[in-house]
Amino acid sequence: MSKVTRGKVLVAMSGGVDSAVAALLLCEQGFEVVGITMCLGIKEESGGRAIRCCDSDALTAAQRVCDKLVIPHHIFDYTQEFTDMVVIPFAQAYARGRTPNPCVECNRLLKFDSLLKKALALEYDFLATGHYAGVEERNERLFIKKARDRRKDQSYFLYAIAPSALRSIIFPLAELTKEEVRARARAAGLPVAERGESQDICFVQNGYADFITARLGNAPAGDILDTSGKKLGEHRGIIHYTLGQRSGLGISSAQPLYVIKIDPEHNTLVVGEKRQTLAQKLVATRLNLFGDELPDMLKAKIRYGSAEEDCTARLVEERLVVHFAHPQSAITPGQSIVIYDGELVVGGGIIAEVLDGHG
Amino acid sequence: MERGYLDHAATTPVAPAVLEAMLPYFGQIYGNPGSAHSWGGEARRAVEEARGSIAAFLGAAINEIVFTSGGTESNNTVIKGIAESNKARGNHIITSAIEHHAILNPCHTLERKGFEVTYIPVNNDWLVSPKDVEAAITAKTILISIMHANNEIGVIEPLAKIGAIARQHGIPFHTDAVQTFGHIPVNVADIEVDLLSASAHKLYGPKGVGLLYIHQGIKISPLLEGGEQEAKRRSSTLNVSGIIGFAKATELAADTMKTEPERISALRDKLIDGLLGKIKDTHLNGTRSSRLPNNINISFGGVEGEALLLSLDAQGIACSTGSACTSAKLETSHVLKALAIPHHLGNSSLRFSLGKATNDKDIERVLAVLPGVVDRLRTISPFYQPAERED
Repeated sequence: MSKVTRGKVLVAMSGGVDSAVAALLLCEQGFEVVGITMCLGIKEESGGRAIRCCDSDALTAAQRVCDKLVIPHHIFDYTQEFTDMVVIPFAQAYARGRTPNPCVECNRLLKFDSLLKKALALEYDFLATGHYAGVEERNERLFIKKARDRRKDQSYFLYAIAPSALRSIIFPLAELTKEEVRARARAAGLPVAERGESQDICFVQNGYADFITARLGNAPAGDILDTSGKKLGEHRGIIHYTLGQRSGLGISSAQPLYVIKIDPEHNTLVVGEKRQTLAQKLVATRLNLFGDELPDMLKAKIRYGSAEEDCTARLVEERLVVHFAHPQSAITPGQSIVIYDGELVVGGGIIAEVLDGHG
Repeated sequence: MERGYLDHAATTPVAPAVLEAMLPYFGQIYGNPGSAHSWGGEARRAVEEARGSIAAFLGAAINEIVFTSGGTESNNTVIKGIAESNKARGNHIITSAIEHHAILNPCHTLERKGFEVTYIPVNNDWLVSPKDVEAAITAKTILISIMHANNEIGVIEPLAKIGAIARQHGIPFHTDAVQTFGHIPVNVADIEVDLLSASAHKLYGPKGVGLLYIHQGIKISPLLEGGEQEAKRRSSTLNVSGIIGFAKATELAADTMKTEPERISALRDKLIDGLLGKIKDTHLNGTRSSRLPNNINISFGGVEGEALLLSLDAQGIACSTGSACTSAKLETSHVLKALAIPHHLGNSSLRFSLGKATNDKDIERVLAVLPGVVDRLRTISPFYQPAERED
């Protein structure tokens, strides 16, 4: 107990293989490690199927890993924070016709703010997670960096972490591929080596629309209009639709129609041609920037799954105006835009407005 | 690092004298007490001697003691066994809202089978009112089960009064005495119980052995059926070494009970006064006057108990949270919830339970560590607002 260590680390453990290997690596590197699982209070929804991110299976799995590593494991109660800061804002934004990304907010507000502060208050030196991402210093500034495993890279979800927090955060998986992580887990005999992946939003099981309906009641049906304002049909409630969506509109038309606008104020959907879903400029707010200035040539992602696109960006007061080199399809308010300079995350924000759309 | 174990309500270390008494019963005196030969006789005589000494300690007759695997089995036997053997008479059971799950869960099972269970609420000090118990009695009541002392809050329930009421109405009365047996006087004649559960590992005995006291004449169906040991009340080959250890632990307890409560309650009061005095917005859960000498349960407004437990553990101090998320259940403790404590206070409690090895230094260390941690955690909490109430 009295041996000198590289510092005390609290590792957030979900019960999955990634955070288990993160804890393993930190132990091997000589840190004093304690595992914690955030209880988000997500229980079974109406379907009765246990949910992945905070069920007792996951808690038991995290406990077993800690037992194997001979480190303490604790469960912190984040039920109230999670509901207030993530779930409710998610549902409300959706109902306002936006498509928010709750994982970004959970990282911004819970894991890398609330939990980090708690770790520091408990006199830990660092907080670590099993995210595929890294932290790198450039010009005496710390930046989030893409993971070596580009297919698993989660830097997109982490852009909103406060810059001052980065010096207290460790991402042990920065240089490992998923295959290497599984291999490390197997080699160490960690009982989670073959546990499944969780990719979707952890608290939504049966689709966003069902989730929001369960929270806020049925969304009212309304009109589907063309760009001239002519009624083409009826929609089932705007929460059931996303920008750029083609199928499921129930309208017959000579050429394919796409959702080009969701108007919560009038409870309408506007549909148009494919080219009308394209736009080249957007404005983002709720910014988080790691550096002092923005390089001239950047790349940006407008959703987690999309490719990086060339762009320029400039700050106008507290807003970021991004101009893409090529038109982008279905830029979606509420989603995050994350800006990269090479492998570093320069920063990002929430898409507030789409400019210069053809629609 | 110095370590201080302040979680004796969870379990206790086996006393050296207990271990020593048990050792011959593994490899030397290994006979089955049910066997007719001299190997069996040796084991049987040892078990019966143990039974006799435990019976005397409880003020019971020797044939009123049934050995079990522990408190959970004893409690299950009472709830399910009394229900089964009395179902022709009635289907109503009275218990309290703050019983151990080894009582509550069997009750829930019975409810699903058509029994009715009244869960008596508690007053502001987690005490059950004998009047409430009496008022709940119906013509169909077949059992009253009220714990002797609560495992989380440490309050001692008014058993003598409840026992008198039960006897008046001719209803079998059970108490879960797992937290009191060997710690404070427990005499079945004084508290007028018909059934009593106890467990060895709470009094420096081994895990996996307990007892059920069954007053003569009480009809109770067995949970385990088989070789008809324990006069058919509990089949299974007897846990000889465990029973010997249990008896030795009881013998030691009879002695330490003369002085230990006074010593330990002084430490308890020092810790309570220290925490309430040094940290604002802390609340002692349960009354101090009717409380186990070794139990402290305090809520720290706005601070998660688990975080405090973690920081104390890092300092080599063991305690437990009265609540919340464990891998088994993701809920605030039903005992704390019994008083409609707000979620954040329910999850903010710590239980310290002192024991024979606890000394002044352990108390000092808790008092040195906790105020700073609580203060830092409150500073970062998005929810913490100092309470207006005065304590």
